[in-house]
Amino acid sequence: MVGSNSTLSRVSRGLYLLILTAGALVMVIPFLWSLSTSLKPLGEALVFPPKWLPHPFLWKNYFLTWKTVPMGQWFINSTIVAVAVVIGNLILDSMAGYALARIRFRGRSLVFFGIISMLMIPFQSIMLPVYIILRALGLINSYAGIILPQIVSAMGVFLMRQAFLNVPQEVEESAIIDGASRWRIFAQISLPMVQPSLLTLALMMFMGAWNNFLLPLLVANNQNFWTLPLGMVMFQQQYYTNWPYLMAAAVMATIPIAVLFLLFQRWFIQGISTTGLK
Amino acid sequence: MGTAVLLKNTEKRGGMEHWRRQETAAAYMFSLPTIILLLVFSLGPAAYAFFLSGVSWNLLNHMHWVGLSNYAAILHMPLFWTSVKNSVIFAAVVMPVQTVIAMIIAVIMNQNLPARPIYRLVFFFPSISSSAVTSLMFMWIFNKLGLLNGFLTMAGISGPNWIGNPRFALSAIMILNIWSTAGYFMVVFLAGLQAIPRTLYEAAAIDGASALQRFWNITVPLLRPSTFFIVVMGLIGTLQMFDQSFIISGGTGGPLNSTMTIALLIYQEIFSYGQVGYGAAATVFLFVLVLGLTILTNRWLGKPIEY
Repeated sequence: MVGSNSTLSRVSRGLYLLILTAGALVMVIPFLWSLSTSLKPLGEALVFPPKWLPHPFLWKNYFLTWKTVPMGQWFINSTIVAVAVVIGNLILDSMAGYALARIRFRGRSLVFFGIISMLMIPFQSIMLPVYIILRALGLINSYAGIILPQIVSAMGVFLMRQAFLNVPQEVEESAIIDGASRWRIFAQISLPMVQPSLLTLALMMFMGAWNNFLLPLLVANNQNFWTLPLGMVMFQQQYYTNWPYLMAAAVMATIPIAVLFLLFQRWFIQGISTTGLK
Repeated sequence: MGTAVLLKNTEKRGGMEHWRRQETAAAYMFSLPTIILLLVFSLGPAAYAFFLSGVSWNLLNHMHWVGLSNYAAILHMPLFWTSVKNSVIFAAVVMPVQTVIAMIIAVIMNQNLPARPIYRLVFFFPSISSSAVTSLMFMWIFNKLGLLNGFLTMAGISGPNWIGNPRFALSAIMILNIWSTAGYFMVVFLAGLQAIPRTLYEAAAIDGASALQRFWNITVPLLRPSTFFIVVMGLIGTLQMFDQSFIISGGTGGPLNSTMTIALLIYQEIFSYGQVGYGAAATVFLFVLVLGLTILTNRWLGKPIEY
């Protein structure tokens, strides 16, 4: 690049950075504001116009929130649900994805297109029949009722199918010649080769289950089964104006996701890139 | 699969048929749990909704068949049309705005700029936070005494009680949704941008095309597969919006039904009014609406790229 061109590019680079920074501020401010509110005494939170820095920093808001509402129980419930959903998807999605990618069998394209068509059915639009089915199965107010509808995912099957398609065929062929069973080939040869996709799948499913609001709302009428999102919303309806406590709860509920995200950012983004492009 | 492998196997096991049957059995063992669970909790419910839309049932009494009269009933219900109007307006504003913002940010972020990973992290983070958390955060920001009105006061404007005012409540939810999903779609666009050959830009630059021309004539057309995916996902997501309306209005769709969406109406039909048939008819209506718009989008954006 020469002369005027590079001045121009310096100007446009400056403009780009300005836009990005303004956008980034819009993205962070709500989180910072929640954090700030969560550390304020109630009286100070309601001062208008708002002040950014809490004075004093009331760390005990977190402790008091934890004591006022059963946050511990919600954390346990959310963890049980999310862990079960992750394990279920890791096993079932990769098994189905493997069969669709690697085994030629009668009815394969029917199964594949059936699963693809389910990508187009979001949960909100089937909540009513799903609720009625769960009720008929006696799963209202149970962990199983919150876990089972999420335990396989069409998106996850699709992701794992793509991953197995990328494993070189030759690796399996020698095992087939040796007469190894499909199960052994799957578990001992192919599965270890798709570890990055398994991590992506686990993160996506953990996030989905941890953040799910609607399914627990349908299933958990009894508050012993409330998960964090549901518990927080119910808490908000009860303690409408106690914003410092509400924001403390919001911050605590976000911490596990934030930690996972910071540790595994690359895999989160990879998941979107692989599933988002097809 | 190499035929050589199959042949060798055939010799060993005796009979291609046997091998095939064994493979099919293995494949169904692998995929049966998934097929059953998806049938029970996804495809089955979708079909079941069509059946339920023809019955009168409040979950307690015996259901009886009423044919199409549930459809007639909801089509004469003003609240149904309010919910359709709100969902459609919501989708018509949020989907294009979030798509355009995501595309612009992605294109900018695709330049060689410092601190890119940090920007990407910051833009992406809202989309992995739960709807409950972000809705509560924005309820507080949109409060009469909240942060947004604090900023507006600095600019000399006296802000409204956003979520308590029927004129502003839906707009507040729109802002929340754009804020929380734009970053997700930005990542999808970024992946799409990686697939555009660098050489095209270099050739255009040599021909003297300006940055804006390159954006319009190379980036936008070649991003069409990503755009298609994002528009379809955006349509589905916005037309079915439930969580934010439910949380911010306390489950009522208020004030004055200004945040009542189709999904929230379905929820209320079953949990507040015990009208399973009405809810199912609205569910079928929502399917048809989403499917129809998806097909239209496919006509418009779904063609393969021609270089």
